[in-house]
Amino acid sequence: MNSLFHYLKKSAEQSPDKEAIVHGDVRLTYGEIFKLACSIASFLHEKGLKKGGRVSLLLDNSPEYVATYYGVLAAGGVVVGLNTATKARDLTNWITHSGSSWLVAHSKHPELNKILTEHSDLSCLLVGEQDELAETELLFRWQDAIATDTTEPDISTLGSNNQLAAIIYTSGTTGNPKGVTLSHQNLVCNTESIISYLGLVESDRVMNVLPFYYSYGNSVLHTHLAVGATVVLENSLLYPQKVLKKMQDERVTGFSGVPSTFSLLLSRANFKDYQLSSLRYITQAGGAMAPSNINRILNDLPDNKFFVMYGQTEATARLSYLPPERLKEKLGSIGIAIPGVSLEIRNEDGIKVSVGETGQICAKGPNIMQGYWNDPETTARTINDGWLMTGDLATYDDEGFIYITGRASEMIKSGANRISPKEIEEVISELEDVEEVAVVGIPDETLGEVIKAFIVISPGQKLEKMAIQAHCRNNLALYKIPKFIEFVSELPKTASGKVKRYMLIENHDVKTVA
Amino acid sequence: MSTESKIRSYIMENYLFTDDESQLSSSDSFLQKGIIDSTGILEVIFFIQDEFAVEVADSEMIPENLDSVNNIVSFIEKKKSAA
Repeated sequence: MNSLFHYLKKSAEQSPDKEAIVHGDVRLTYGEIFKLACSIASFLHEKGLKKGGRVSLLLDNSPEYVATYYGVLAAGGVVVGLNTATKARDLTNWITHSGSSWLVAHSKHPELNKILTEHSDLSCLLVGEQDELAETELLFRWQDAIATDTTEPDISTLGSNNQLAAIIYTSGTTGNPKGVTLSHQNLVCNTESIISYLGLVESDRVMNVLPFYYSYGNSVLHTHLAVGATVVLENSLLYPQKVLKKMQDERVTGFSGVPSTFSLLLSRANFKDYQLSSLRYITQAGGAMAPSNINRILNDLPDNKFFVMYGQTEATARLSYLPPERLKEKLGSIGIAIPGVSLEIRNEDGIKVSVGETGQICAKGPNIMQGYWNDPETTARTINDGWLMTGDLATYDDEGFIYITGRASEMIKSGANRISPKEIEEVISELEDVEEVAVVGIPDETLGEVIKAFIVISPGQKLEKMAIQAHCRNNLALYKIPKFIEFVSELPKTASGKVKRYMLIENHDVKTVA
Repeated sequence: MSTESKIRSYIMENYLFTDDESQLSSSDSFLQKGIIDSTGILEVIFFIQDEFAVEVADSEMIPENLDSVNNIVSFIEKKKSAA
């Protein structure tokens, strides 16, 4: 296949009446979702979207998200999936950086007005009611767009010559956003590889709680649509009982989560209290999961295959998996390379390490990104001779199974989110009386890490914790607001003036409250 | 302080980081308004248990009981009258 859209087309032709997306009471078949995607492609084409034109998506997981994603691909455009949990500050920055000419958004997104004020030249397709927004010639309604003539788009050359398909913004800062660029081939190759090791089939029904704007959720969507399976959407984990009840009612065969997904579910619910006999596989990625939680799931669901996986947005999504039959004996390992991918652990001289030695995980394969959008320097530092430097440190065992031991980068991993400490430092520094700030990730049982800010206040000044958190809430996504704040007289630094973050983490006082 | 005031103060102080009463309506859905995330709701449950001496069973962890200040107040009153 040349593109994900080709897969959708095939699924729609083979099983037009099969359920593709379930979202609340809405159930869309492959025929319906394909028709919607074709309408969006025709609409964008008619309104002048050119091949390679960027279209930003500001939609939560929904049938509209799926139709727009595939519609943009079919129109030859590039999908820029924006994190809906974040604030106008990041969103406008990404729209500008990606050079998006279109925004497809939900009309009730709380940051929409700010974005449209900032980007007065942006064409905007709005999903949902829009009575509060002024009508302009650049604003279009979803209902009008899907009423567009549904001639199938010409996809004869779609996906050829490394054509770009998507940009995913990952943990960068305002001054240096990191847009991972993925080609149609990147997406297709990773999708095919995941389908093969998970053994996905048309009869599968996956429960998806992961946001599509991140690579993991994105891969859950694409892999299941590619085999003609059903994707059941649940957009919140706030009420775990509701999620498990839906899994039972929808007779799902698969479930995917990050470690915090399982911590949250297991903290207030039990898989075994629900009739989940249809469940065939569970996948877990996004950081190390507590072995006690894995064992609990294995005990509660003994017939289920549990796949521990590892990957990065820069590798489209997936790089390794631990075959479920080896899980018990290799607990703690991220497994082996997925089909079509080569993984090597290399030392600082670029030489492959021996068993037990630590080095950096490097990856090569058709899923490795094209680079960071408009950032050749960071790209050159990250991809060397076709090998992606993941920044993750690891060792091999004598059978070649990989064990992650640490990270070479300062990134904070909290829940499903990868967060740059610099981004939060940038926001806190804007407060007048803040002299210096350093942000680190503190170990947390549920989320993996939570954010802590160490702040030096200007002499003679006073700043309330609540004022700092309120400023963060106005400018950052909820998950980026520091849970802990500690005022210090100075930050520990190296001779060259670099903050010793490891010392801040080690010195974290567990009694410090938010 | 009334049950409602205590819950409002807790939510405003810990999730909205403000003492401006106009920022929170007691009927606001935590989920729909993006006030609390999934770990926050666990903290809210601990708060309810500690502050009002009310046990929250796993099966009671549903939007009808917890998704707004009003829902929590009704839930606590119901639990206390049943005790």
